[in-house]
Amino acid sequence: MVSNAPGSPTLHNTAAMAVELTGITKRFGAFIANDGIDLAVRRGEIHAIIGENGAGKTTLMNILFGLLQPDEGSIRLNGEATVVADPAAAIKAGLGMVHQHFKLVPSLSVADNVFLGMEIRRHGLIDHAAQIARTQELSKRFGLHVDPTERVGLLSVGIEQRIEILKVLVRGARTIILDEPTAVLTPQESRELFQTLRSFVAEGMTVIFISHHLEEVMEVSDTVTVLRNGKKVATRPTSELNKDELVRMMVGREVSFDRRPRAELQGDVILEVKDLWARDDRRLPALRNASFTVRSGEVVGIAGVAGNGQTELAEVLSGLRPASHGEARLKGQDLTTLTPAAIREAGLAHVPGDRMLRGVDRNASIAANTLMGRQHRAPWSRNGMLDWKAIAGNAGALIKSFDIRAQGAGDAVKRLSGGNIQKVVLAREFTNGADFLLIDQPTRGVDIGAQEAIHDEIMRQRAAGRAILLISVQLDELAALADRILVMFNGRIMGEVAGDDADEDRIGMMMAGVSPQLEPA
Amino acid sequence: MMSDRLRAFSGQIIAVGVALLLGAIIILLVGESPVHVLMTLLRGAFGDQEKIAGTLLQTTPILICGVAACIGLRGGMFNVGIEGQLFLGGFAAAWVGFSFSLPAGIHMLAALALAVVAGAAWVAIPAFFRARYNTNEVVSTILSNYIAVLLTSYFTIFLFKRPGGWSETPPILATAYLPEIFSFSRLNWGLFIGLALAIGVALVFRYTSWGYGVTIVGSAPKFAEYGGVNVKRQGFVVLLLSGAVGGLAGGVETLGVHHRFMEGFAPGFGFDGLIAALLANGSPVATIVTALFFGALRSGSLLLEVDTSASREIITVIQALIILSVSAQVLIKRRGDSQAGERRWKF
Repeated sequence: MVSNAPGSPTLHNTAAMAVELTGITKRFGAFIANDGIDLAVRRGEIHAIIGENGAGKTTLMNILFGLLQPDEGSIRLNGEATVVADPAAAIKAGLGMVHQHFKLVPSLSVADNVFLGMEIRRHGLIDHAAQIARTQELSKRFGLHVDPTERVGLLSVGIEQRIEILKVLVRGARTIILDEPTAVLTPQESRELFQTLRSFVAEGMTVIFISHHLEEVMEVSDTVTVLRNGKKVATRPTSELNKDELVRMMVGREVSFDRRPRAELQGDVILEVKDLWARDDRRLPALRNASFTVRSGEVVGIAGVAGNGQTELAEVLSGLRPASHGEARLKGQDLTTLTPAAIREAGLAHVPGDRMLRGVDRNASIAANTLMGRQHRAPWSRNGMLDWKAIAGNAGALIKSFDIRAQGAGDAVKRLSGGNIQKVVLAREFTNGADFLLIDQPTRGVDIGAQEAIHDEIMRQRAAGRAILLISVQLDELAALADRILVMFNGRIMGEVAGDDADEDRIGMMMAGVSPQLEPA
Repeated sequence: MMSDRLRAFSGQIIAVGVALLLGAIIILLVGESPVHVLMTLLRGAFGDQEKIAGTLLQTTPILICGVAACIGLRGGMFNVGIEGQLFLGGFAAAWVGFSFSLPAGIHMLAALALAVVAGAAWVAIPAFFRARYNTNEVVSTILSNYIAVLLTSYFTIFLFKRPGGWSETPPILATAYLPEIFSFSRLNWGLFIGLALAIGVALVFRYTSWGYGVTIVGSAPKFAEYGGVNVKRQGFVVLLLSGAVGGLAGGVETLGVHHRFMEGFAPGFGFDGLIAALLANGSPVATIVTALFFGALRSGSLLLEVDTSASREIITVIQALIILSVSAQVLIKRRGDSQAGERRWKF
C-alpha cells in the first residue's frame, strides 16, 4: 500500500485535495457564522480546525457534511465540484462525520448499531454473525477496541465514540470529520483515538479534526487551520507552529495556564468526608473508602482518569446518589442523609459535570435557568409567587458580570455556545451564597477565552473564603488552581500532592493505580 | 423566544391545514363535495345562536379535559386516563346529586367536590405505581380507562339503576344543577368553570414557584432533580391534579347537561381533551381555542348526517389526521432525530 503520509515530499505536492471549500459564507439572521472561508484539505493528512467556541468550526463542518447549505461559496470533493445537498450525498461522496453528541440505540448491540440502516442480510434476515465478524475486523484493524456483542446502553462514552467511528467506516468513508472528539474522552482514550487517526492516514484516508485543545492539535495534526469569529485566520503546517503562536491566532491575545498566585487562606473545615462508599448504576462499588477534608479558602483538586469514581463522588455529595456507607459532613450536617434540596439549603453549590443534562434546561430562558434552586427563596419568590421582574433583572446583571454572550435574559439557553452555557451555570451556582462549591469539569468543551474567565472566577471564589472541591480530568487545570490534589483510581483516593509541586509523573503513576507508599522514597 | 412560539404556532396551523386537506380528499372519495361538507359543518356549529350554544356545550368538557391533560404534559406526565377519570367523576357527582338532599348551591359544590376527589383517587393508583416503581404512566392510565367505564356501568346497572328501561341512575335533585346560561340551551356555568380553570392553571405555571418546578421537571427532569426538586413527588402530585380536573369535567357534565349518570354519557371527551391539549402544545390558554375547534367539529357533525351523504364518522377521521400531521410535522422539522416525536409529547 502506498503511503500518503505527509512529509513524504514526492507525494506532498501532487496529492489531490480531498476537500476544497471556497468562499463559504453562512448567515443565521444578522449573525455571520462563516465569512468567506477557504479551506483546502490534502488527501492523507490529519487537518485540525481550531478556534474558540462560536468561531464557526462546527458550522463549517456541517456545511461540508450537507447538514447546512452555504449562502455563498462552493465545495469540491476529490477535485470534483459537488453540491452536498444532504448527509446522504456526503456519505456517497466518501465523507463521514462523528458528531459531538452520539446517536446510538442503547438497547441494541454494538454490531447492530454499527450496521443500523444498512444491515447485512441473508435470506432476508439480518446476518448477525457477519455483522459481528465485520465489526470485529474493523475494530482490530484500526485499534477501535469494542466487543461487538455488547449492548450499547452499558458502555462508556469513550466506547460509544468508537462505535460512531465504526459506523462511519462501514459506510465507506475515506474522509472522516470528527467534531471535538476528545471533549468526552479521558487522556488515555484520547491517545488511543490519535493512534486510530494515524492508522487512518496510514491507509490513505483523510481526517478533519475539530478541537480547541492546543496540545492535541500539536500532537496529532499535520496541518492546522485557525478560525476566529467566523473568519479563517491561517492554514499552516503544524511543524512550523508552536503553542504560543497558535493561541495568539485563536484568541488574538496571550493566554497562560500557569499556576495562579494565591495567598494562604485556609480556614475552618467546611466539608469532612469519612469512609465514604457508593455504588455505580450497575450496583458495583465505584467509590471506595474515600476520606478527605476541604477547608474554607482552599481549592482541593480531584485528579484521575474519568470513570474512577469521581462522578459517583460528586453525585453522593450533591444528594443525587445514595452512599452505601460512610459520611460526608458539610458544616457538621451529614449530607448522605439529606435530599438534594436540603443539601443546597445546607450550603452546597454544584457545577455538574454533565452540563447539558444536569446543568441547564436548554429550552428555558437564561432567566428561568438562573432561578433553579432558589425558586422558593426571597426576593425571587414571595408567598409562593415568582417575581419575574426581579428574576430577569438579576439574570441581566449576571449576564454582564459573568460576560455571557447573549442578547438578553429572555434568550433560550439552547441558542448559546457551550462556553456561554457553562457561564450561565457558574453565574447561578456562584451567586447563591453557598460555602461549599462542588465543581465538576468546569471547562470541558469550553474555549480558551472562557476557560480563563472560569478559572479567574474560581480563584475569586477561593479568595472569598469558599471551600472548593474541583474535579477535573485536565491536569493542567488542577495544577493551575488547586492547593492540594487528590488522585483517584478505581474508586479509591491513591494519594495527595501539594498543588505547588504538582508533579505530572507522580500524579500519573497514581492515576494509573500505583500507590505512592509502595514506591521507594 | 417569541419567534420560537410563533414558529410552533404556525407549524400547528400548517399541520391542521394538511389534515383538513387530506380530509377533503377522503370526502371526495366517498362522493361528497368537501365545500358542501365544510359549509354544513360551519352551519351546524355556528349557524344560529342555538347552534353556537350547542358548540360551546360540546366545547366545555373538552376544554376541562384539555386543561387536565395540560397539567400532566407540563409536568412530564402523559395522563391518558382522563376519559376514565371523567366517568368516575361524573358518577360521583350524580351519586351526591340523587342520594343527598342539601341546600341549593352547597349541594352542587359538594357534588363537584366529590367528582374532583373521585378523579384524583382514580389516577392515584397509576400515579402511585409511577412514583414507587417507575411504571410507565401512559400504559397504566390507558388501561385504567376501561376499568373506570365498566365499573361505572356496573354501579349504574346493578346498584343504582333507575326503575324503568334505561341504564341510568335516578335523576339528581335540582339543588345540585349547574345553572344554565340561556333559556334556549343546556349551556351552563361549566363553560365558565372551564375558562377560569384554563386561565388559572396558566397563571399558576407562569407565576408560582411550584409551577416553575413542574415546568422544569417536564422539560429537563435531570436538571430539576439536580436543582432540588423532588421529581417523584412532583410527578405524583401532577398526575393527581390532572386526574382531579378530569373528575371535575365529569361532574360538570353530569350536573350541567344530563342531570343523571348514564352509561356512555360522555363518549370520547377525555381523549378529545387530550388531543386539544397536544395541539395547543400543552398551553392551557391555547387549549381554549383548540377545544373550541374540536367542539365545533362535534356539534357541526350533528347536521352532517342530516344534510349530506357523508357520515359523521368523517369527523373522527379528520381528528386522527390532525394527530398524525401534528406528529409528522415535528419529525419533519427534526429529520434524523428519531425520538423527536416521542419527546414532543413529553414536553
